Amino acid sequence: MPYSVLIVDDSPVMRSLIRRVMVLSGFEVGQCFEASDGVEALAQLKEHGVDVILTDINMPKMNGEELLRELEASGVLKSVPALVISTDATKDRILRMLSLGAEGYMSKPFSPEALREELERVLGDRDASKD
Amino acid sequence: MPQKIEPVCGPERDAGELGDVIQRVVAEVLETMFFAEAIPSPCCHDWMGSAVSARVSFDGSHSGEMRLSTSLYAADSIACAFLGADPEEVIPAARVKVILELANILCGATLSQLWPESKLALGAPELTPAGEEFPACRLHHCFELPEGRLALCMWWSEGAGPG
Repeated sequence: MPYSVLIVDDSPVMRSLIRRVMVLSGFEVGQCFEASDGVEALAQLKEHGVDVILTDINMPKMNGEELLRELEASGVLKSVPALVISTDATKDRILRMLSLGAEGYMSKPFSPEALREELERVLGDRDASKD
Repeated sequence: MPQKIEPVCGPERDAGELGDVIQRVVAEVLETMFFAEAIPSPCCHDWMGSAVSARVSFDGSHSGEMRLSTSLYAADSIACAFLGADPEEVIPAARVKVILELANILCGATLSQLWPESKLALGAPELTPAGEEFPACRLHHCFELPEGRLALCMWWSEGAGPG
């Protein structure tokens, strides 16, 4: 079953790479929506239902932390898992993002296989909790 | 303020742990996300006059800056690999964005490896003027890529800023 995805990153080339890497990895991507910051992401989520959200942290207007807080407050994270993708792999940052509701954390660089495994883990955990 | 320390360059002059981290991170980042092999090489900067260069500042438990330069052909090759595009499809603006992303990933990955327990915030990557020489820095390494060269330098002070 193809999954619909929302990619949130202020770098258009990074959004493009993430999309390409997902396809290269064999992950079944259905509709793929993009946003350049948290504000755009929230607008996209009002228009489109997605299965998983992939978000950067450092972004203008609304960063990844603020986005996760909004998603948690609005209950979105109860039904849609968020996976953080960031260059920052410090323990403090990872724990902080997980405590804000992210279900996974990928630090750059990452391989297509690693991204696929993490997406499948996050989505598998969510599917299992629905059963 | 960057500390004025004589740069060290190349594996033959910096066999310490910091140098190992830099070399490992550069190799991993280039291979994993830019599909290029980076081999540590002796210093040679005669190509830097036409290089594509960027800097990323960072602040927190360590404050400083990383600078990155790639030769023009290497920048083209890196951009093509990252975007999955043919050379004629990559416009200069896209090449610049890819090099900024490379600088961002290299800086974040390096800091996370050097100080995994730290609290750090990265600034947005910025282009630096072509031909601008590296300042004196605490770490400096040059690499040979299949299509050109890459140089990287970094300086920092400890205990500055919040965190």
